[in-house]
Amino acid sequence: MKVTIKNWTSVAIWKWVANDDNCGICRMPFDGCCPDCKLPGDDCPLVWGQCSHCFHMHCIVKWLQSQQVNQQCPMCRQEWKFNNK
Amino acid sequence: MSLKPRQVDFNAVWGSLQETVKSVITLGHVPRQIWSDRFSDVYSLCVAHPESMADRLYAETKQYLIDHVALLLIKVQEDGEDNLIKNYYHYWSQYSRGLFYLHLLYWYLNQQHIRMQKPSDAEMIYGSSDANAGEQLEIKELALEVWKNGMITPLGEKLVKLLLETIDKDRSEHTTLIPIEAIQGTITSFVEVQRFKIKGKLKLYQDLFEEPFLDASGEHFKRDAARLLEERDVSLYMEKVITKVDEELARARKFLHASSLTKVSQRCEQHMVAEHLDFLYSECMNMVQGERKRDLSNMYSLLKSLPNALNILVDTVLDHSKCQGLESIGTLQGDNIHVNFVENLLEVYQKYRQQIQEVFSGDQNFMGALDKACSSVINHRPNKGKTPCRSPELLAKYCDTLLKKSSKGISEAEVDEKLRKSITIFKYIDDKDVFQKFYARMLAKRLIHQQTQSMDAEEAMINRLKQACGYEFTSKLHRMFTDMSVSADLNNKFNAFLKDDSIDLGVNFCIYILQAGAWPFGQAIVTPFSLPQQLVKSVQMFETFYYNRFNGRKLTWLHHLCQAELRLGYLKKPYVVTVQTFQMAILLLFETADSLVCKEIRETLLLNADQFQRHAISLVDSKLLLCDSEELTPEAVLRLNMEYTNKRTRFRITAAIQRESPQEVEHTINSVEEDRKLYLQAAIVRIMKSRKVLKHNALIQEVCAQSKVSFAPSIPMIKKCIEALIDRHYMERTQHSSEEYSYIA
Repeated sequence: MKVTIKNWTSVAIWKWVANDDNCGICRMPFDGCCPDCKLPGDDCPLVWGQCSHCFHMHCIVKWLQSQQVNQQCPMCRQEWKFNNK
Repeated sequence: MSLKPRQVDFNAVWGSLQETVKSVITLGHVPRQIWSDRFSDVYSLCVAHPESMADRLYAETKQYLIDHVALLLIKVQEDGEDNLIKNYYHYWSQYSRGLFYLHLLYWYLNQQHIRMQKPSDAEMIYGSSDANAGEQLEIKELALEVWKNGMITPLGEKLVKLLLETIDKDRSEHTTLIPIEAIQGTITSFVEVQRFKIKGKLKLYQDLFEEPFLDASGEHFKRDAARLLEERDVSLYMEKVITKVDEELARARKFLHASSLTKVSQRCEQHMVAEHLDFLYSECMNMVQGERKRDLSNMYSLLKSLPNALNILVDTVLDHSKCQGLESIGTLQGDNIHVNFVENLLEVYQKYRQQIQEVFSGDQNFMGALDKACSSVINHRPNKGKTPCRSPELLAKYCDTLLKKSSKGISEAEVDEKLRKSITIFKYIDDKDVFQKFYARMLAKRLIHQQTQSMDAEEAMINRLKQACGYEFTSKLHRMFTDMSVSADLNNKFNAFLKDDSIDLGVNFCIYILQAGAWPFGQAIVTPFSLPQQLVKSVQMFETFYYNRFNGRKLTWLHHLCQAELRLGYLKKPYVVTVQTFQMAILLLFETADSLVCKEIRETLLLNADQFQRHAISLVDSKLLLCDSEELTPEAVLRLNMEYTNKRTRFRITAAIQRESPQEVEHTINSVEEDRKLYLQAAIVRIMKSRKVLKHNALIQEVCAQSKVSFAPSIPMIKKCIEALIDRHYMERTQHSSEEYSYIA
């Protein structure tokens, strides 16, 4: 071997992949954070429902708490279930 | 002896009382028994039956005092003018002590008879002005009043004239014929005589003595100033004036009442300084430029108490320090321009700061001038403002140089000290956001290429910036640090994952996972690249690991930031070399061949022309590769240099990473512009949302105030932002005025 790789230090950036650009509840971009947070990233995560809709976690939790009867997805009115695959 | 009121023969009692009064007032001997008897005589007269004789006693005593003082007046004048002051002082000190004993002798009269009819303090102050007329005074007051009328009134002017002559003599010859205490005592007698007055205690002193004294002194100062001015030497003049002021103050302290001190020095300054300001200013420029500390501090002490007199000096200092500052950074050239820039400026700053402390005792006016000078030097735009100011970039670079591993030969403490000082410069920078952009980019490079000298130093610096500019300014920088520690954690977990599944990647793999947005890498820089086969497994395994852990995230590999350590086995000695991914990929291709055509390499690796050019050239420059032509044309052939040697067995091909390309700088400046627009729009919306309706100028003012922390916005830019917001219906012009906006909810 003429040249062998001893160490490799790589760099990657991560982004959310959602089916939309903006959160359907607060209308803020997924790249940003919900209105209550200051910084995007790990502290303001996204969550997906089994209906495949995606929101800021803080937004959907607030929404679900405000619903007395049925826990529904605000987009498609199906019952909301967190998608923990 | 009975205390009962009884009939008293006034004349008999007064006869003996008068004798004692005479002894008392002239400080003669009075036996205890006599004193006690007379004391009770006063009592018995006051309570005499059938009618009190207090008024009569008072009148007789007053008449006696008047006669006594008249007698003294003759005695005082007896020895001619030369002895007038001495005699006056002699009799005055006798009289002024005597009257106290007299006051005690008349204790009962004072306490019972006179105090009864005395108006209250309040009446004295606010009551009718002629409250004093025909009213009886306590004996000590009466005695002083009699002295004033009988002695000072006829003799006052003559005394003052003599006093002034004496003081004048003291000025010219530093001696007086008359003892100092006589002069001082005479002068203070003008105050003493009024001491029991509630209002205007000093009036007599001021009218009779102080005013003529100040006028005479003023004339003297004027003459003196004129004499000194003839020498036409400012520094000498100032020295002499300062001595003069000190002398006069000492003299005033020696002779005058304390209330006159400030008046004397004021008079002196007025005639010797204020009236000759132009003369003093004529040398001002030379003094400041020659940095003649002694002269300057003399000038300061002369001018400081005059209103507004310092302005010209302050302005001169400002101009001078500004010129020096500009000069120190004007001609900088070469690679070390950022170091010179910061250190020269700091030197100038420290020099003038120290000078102001020393010479102008840290006066706020001068500190303010230094601040102004620094800020205009640091934010100076060459070419009449057309060239952008480079200070933010240079300062960021300076910090980068200090925080990088390569800064050799200086201890950690020194680095810390230098960084601490650089904050001084930072505070003066207007375009702090530009600095932040550059600083963030350099910090990112340091972190990713593992070039930071010490994490402690980095954190300390960020905390300093936070202190100067607030949390928001450094939040992105903090997020970069968080990512570094999150990445370390992820690497450990990934290694554990590999171990559990007994997977061997074939290389030592380490990764930084960064949050998009927190790092200053634009999106555009991701270019196509075909990863060398040896690394594909690492990438695949990590992606599997990562996507399993984090739902809904997507990784983008930034190969242009990756780096690798390679072992070169084809040379005489084994070398370990650190290169970037693209350089590594090029080198790896030579595994199967000793020479390759550029075009071929580029096509295999899918690199774009620019990337290929940069990295191939760095390899050629380092002599690892040899090229048969000057230019790297697509047809040029690259060969492995089999004869390569290097003194060190471990080295780094740095060229391509380190150099800041001009495009990068431009990119940074453009992104700053973009960020400012967003910042301003956000600020405008915030302000309008809280105010609903606002005038144009008020809005501009508030926007400027809000953005001052990070940059100084240009008015046209704010106007553009307002237009943009009107177009997007965030706000509108109100109907009745085009100068007023209202917020649209």
